[in-house]
Amino acid sequence: MIRLDKVSKRYPNGHYGLVDVSLTIRRGEFIFLVGPSGAGKSSLVRLLYREEAASQGEVYVDQFKLSTLRRGQVARLRRQLGVVFQDVKLLPQRTVYQNVAFAMEVVGASTRDIHKRVPQVLELVGLGRNRENFPHQLSGGEQQRVGIARALVNNPIYVIADEPTGNLDPETAHEIMKLFVEINRRGATVIMATHAKEIVNQMQRRVVAIEQGRVVRDEVRGVYGYES
Amino acid sequence: MNLNGIGYIVRETLRNLARNSWMSLASVSTVAISMFVLSFFLVLTTNLNHVTTVLQSQVEMKVFVNPKVGRLKEISLLNKARHWPNVRHIDFFTKQQAANSLKREFPNQRDLVALISKSNPLFDGYDVFTYRPQAIPRLATRFEKDPIVHAVVYEGQVVTRLAKLSKVLRWVGWVVEGLLGLATLFIIVNTIRLAVFARRREVQVMKLVGATDWFIRWPFVLEGVILGLLGAVVADLVVDAGYRWLTGVAAIALPFWPLASLASVMTQVLLFTLIGGVFVGILASLVALRRFLRV
Ligand SMILES: Nc1ncnc2c1ncn2[C@@H]1O[C@H](COP(=O)(O)OP(=O)(O)OP(=O)(O)O)[C@@H](O)[C@H]1O
Ligand SMILES: [Mg+2]
Repeated sequence: MIRLDKVSKRYPNGHYGLVDVSLTIRRGEFIFLVGPSGAGKSSLVRLLYREEAASQGEVYVDQFKLSTLRRGQVARLRRQLGVVFQDVKLLPQRTVYQNVAFAMEVVGASTRDIHKRVPQVLELVGLGRNRENFPHQLSGGEQQRVGIARALVNNPIYVIADEPTGNLDPETAHEIMKLFVEINRRGATVIMATHAKEIVNQMQRRVVAIEQGRVVRDEVRGVYGYES
Repeated sequence: MNLNGIGYIVRETLRNLARNSWMSLASVSTVAISMFVLSFFLVLTTNLNHVTTVLQSQVEMKVFVNPKVGRLKEISLLNKARHWPNVRHIDFFTKQQAANSLKREFPNQRDLVALISKSNPLFDGYDVFTYRPQAIPRLATRFEKDPIVHAVVYEGQVVTRLAKLSKVLRWVGWVVEGLLGLATLFIIVNTIRLAVFARRREVQVMKLVGATDWFIRWPFVLEGVILGLLGAVVADLVVDAGYRWLTGVAAIALPFWPLASLASVMTQVLLFTLIGGVFVGILASLVALRRFLRV
């Protein structure tokens, strides 16, 4: 379970990313974070994997209480999560395969498991034939899918995706969304910040809308609700 | 850390060294240069110590026995004094032997030879060798207390000055070596920091996907150790060759100058540079990484 309790995030320059946000996400949920650009979706997401710390309030992820997390435990928290970053964060000097394998090496997986698992995941996101390409040899959408593969490769309990379909054409976006649905069906909790109106409307899942750092709407079977 | 982990670390390290091969070369050279300076100093101190020991072993004290004391008493003091602390070695000489050695030393001094041949005015006595020159004054008093002793003669000031000098040199040595160590550390810290800086994105992403600090550190630490060791080995090779050459030249030019042996010099140099290289490499990589691990 993920729980935000009256969380505010104030950045060093004085800007507020989140204001007094309370939110509970249960295991197995599929939840969309929507809202205009600059609303605070990424701010919320970054708190979950502890790239940023809350300025006020408390964030809980399962047994982890994030404000008092010791350094060594941050790694353990992050291993529960598969994160697709809004800015993708691929390593430019590594191939597609290495970029994904890397996430498994980090958690100490065996070479055999890596050899077995990485091609599977790359196939899953439709990059089976780009294994040896470097990120700069890929399109924006393909890079995004490498990021998704990396987030999924360790079978995380929570998948946190910040606009994972931002650069994808509707067709591919749809394929990727099906992938997330499948992962969710197998038990993973999916938290996705997105501007993909059609998909949100069509999926009929929980929608949390954020505006100017505040939660303004939280619906179990919600719609996107903005003109995109 | 399991086997996969070790494989990962080694692969990462080699990849990093190869990727930054110019940088690696540069840091190995800097390490080698500072290790060479360190070695130079080590060679110097080893040799100074060597000269000091050689000189100390030549330092002696002469104890003269009253005339008309029986041989038995002389021998009994000899046997007693052998067990006194700091006594390395004692030679007993009779006044006849003293006269002979004088004659040998100054064969052209006719008057002298005639004088000591007629009625020998010299004394029986002992040549006393000590372990430490500082011990000589105390031993001298101890001999003087014995009723059969007539006089004790030693080069008091030379001995104590030598001891003082070697003490000062040792201190200067530690200070200079400490400063050099710091300079070396500083250089490696900066080289590794540049290497980490070039890969800060990678470090950041690693942390974000759940890498522990040590998982990230190991390759850099190993890299630091390899850089330190390679630099040390280069310096060691140069010093070895250089010292061989020096001993060869000195054997001809200064045959009486007591140079420390190659083996004794190289054990010092190897010990300090290799341990120093590893130590500095580890420390430098840890210091260099600190800032970048805060993600
Ligand atoms: N590192 C930062 N330092 C200062 N202000 C920041 C920082 N990151 C975000 N902000 C501010 O916080 C607010 C929320 O930003 P956030 O990135 O969370 O928006 P978002 O909902 O993810 O937008 P988008 O849909 O464009 O990704 C914005 O006003 C932004 O300027
Ligand atoms: Mg965002």
